[in-house]
Amino acid sequence: MWKRAAGGLILTFHLAGINNQNFLMRDDQTGTFWQQITGRAVSGPLAGSQLEFVASDELSFRLWRSQSGSKTILKPVAKYANDYETKDWDVRMAKVKTVLDFPDTGLRSRDLVFGVDAFGVSRAYPVKRIHAAKLIEDRLNGTPVLVVLGPDQKSIRVFQALTGSDYFSLTQAPAARMDTALFMDAATGSTWNFDGCAISGQLQGKCLKTVPALNDYWFDWRNYHPRTGIFKH
Amino acid sequence: MARVPARSIVLIALLSLALVAAACVAYPLYVLRPFRHQGATELAVALAIIQIGPWLSALSAILCLLLATLAWPWLRGKVARALAVASVLVAAAGCGLSRVNVYELLFHPAGQPQFESADRAKLDPDEMVIAVQANGGSRAYPIREMAYHHVVNDTFAGAPIVATY
Repeated sequence: MWKRAAGGLILTFHLAGINNQNFLMRDDQTGTFWQQITGRAVSGPLAGSQLEFVASDELSFRLWRSQSGSKTILKPVAKYANDYETKDWDVRMAKVKTVLDFPDTGLRSRDLVFGVDAFGVSRAYPVKRIHAAKLIEDRLNGTPVLVVLGPDQKSIRVFQALTGSDYFSLTQAPAARMDTALFMDAATGSTWNFDGCAISGQLQGKCLKTVPALNDYWFDWRNYHPRTGIFKH
Repeated sequence: MARVPARSIVLIALLSLALVAAACVAYPLYVLRPFRHQGATELAVALAIIQIGPWLSALSAILCLLLATLAWPWLRGKVARALAVASVLVAAAGCGLSRVNVYELLFHPAGQPQFESADRAKLDPDEMVIAVQANGGSRAYPIREMAYHHVVNDTFAGAPIVATY
């Protein structure tokens, strides 16, 4: 997700090509081409410009709907709605051949990862590892981070953790609510929800900072983050 | 040294102009198509051709038409005249197609997005959405729909944003 503004202009984008299975978009206002995954202008009058990143999540609909506050959702475009992907599209997509491969990295091209590029480090967290662990504690250049599986057992978020504590996942049945107690910190005994906010304990009311992360296929993440590492603990 | 007939020179020129106009469309399409590896140099060339293609193909088409018209009385024979006509048609097609975004014929744009409240949406509970938050509110873009349109230009909480997938 990007802010669609650059060079003092509000831009309107259109799909305009494919670059190694990541698409290019072109703005109406200047004709500049932008790479979807990086938000960087690769050709045209604004070449070299960078769109401003806008943080977003991939959430299950039921989890998103459980949030408080006003909520609006994109309506289907009627004349194309019957052509939208079927519910198993990600299963089918996982079998589609890629044009880029990075053998000997320990991951297959279409393995899903949560890619984080923060604190001067790029690191990919295999989604299977996240599902198995429910909560991963890690350090990026010394900064503690948490990779957390949501209460719906589908959504994933990354937070900058507080220093000086270990964190534990709270075993639970899948739940649909954002305010479910999801993990606990050992230092204070506070419980935290999927917003990264403490809902009980000494730190109740405090919220952790979210760290932007991208759900991506390994080959795509690796192509645009050539120095990325892979979480292996 | 044998002289090359003027008619041959004209035909070569016509075919060359047609080829230039056609290349303005064909080369970027060839390079930027799905399920193909794009190298850095060919990508840069393809994007540059897209930038100049509309006017280069127009210039080629105009020159092709002018040349064919002026040389018509001297282009005797069915083959020569057929080649001339074909060149003009190819050049014209290249000129026209260089102005068409083929990718939006394949991947239809969403156009001006319309939204509804979460209560009215008919999605399966486990369907995934891309969600963005601002000013106490949230907006979601169903991934099944985004996987079709790929780009949605939106304004949320007063900020112009583009959702991509």
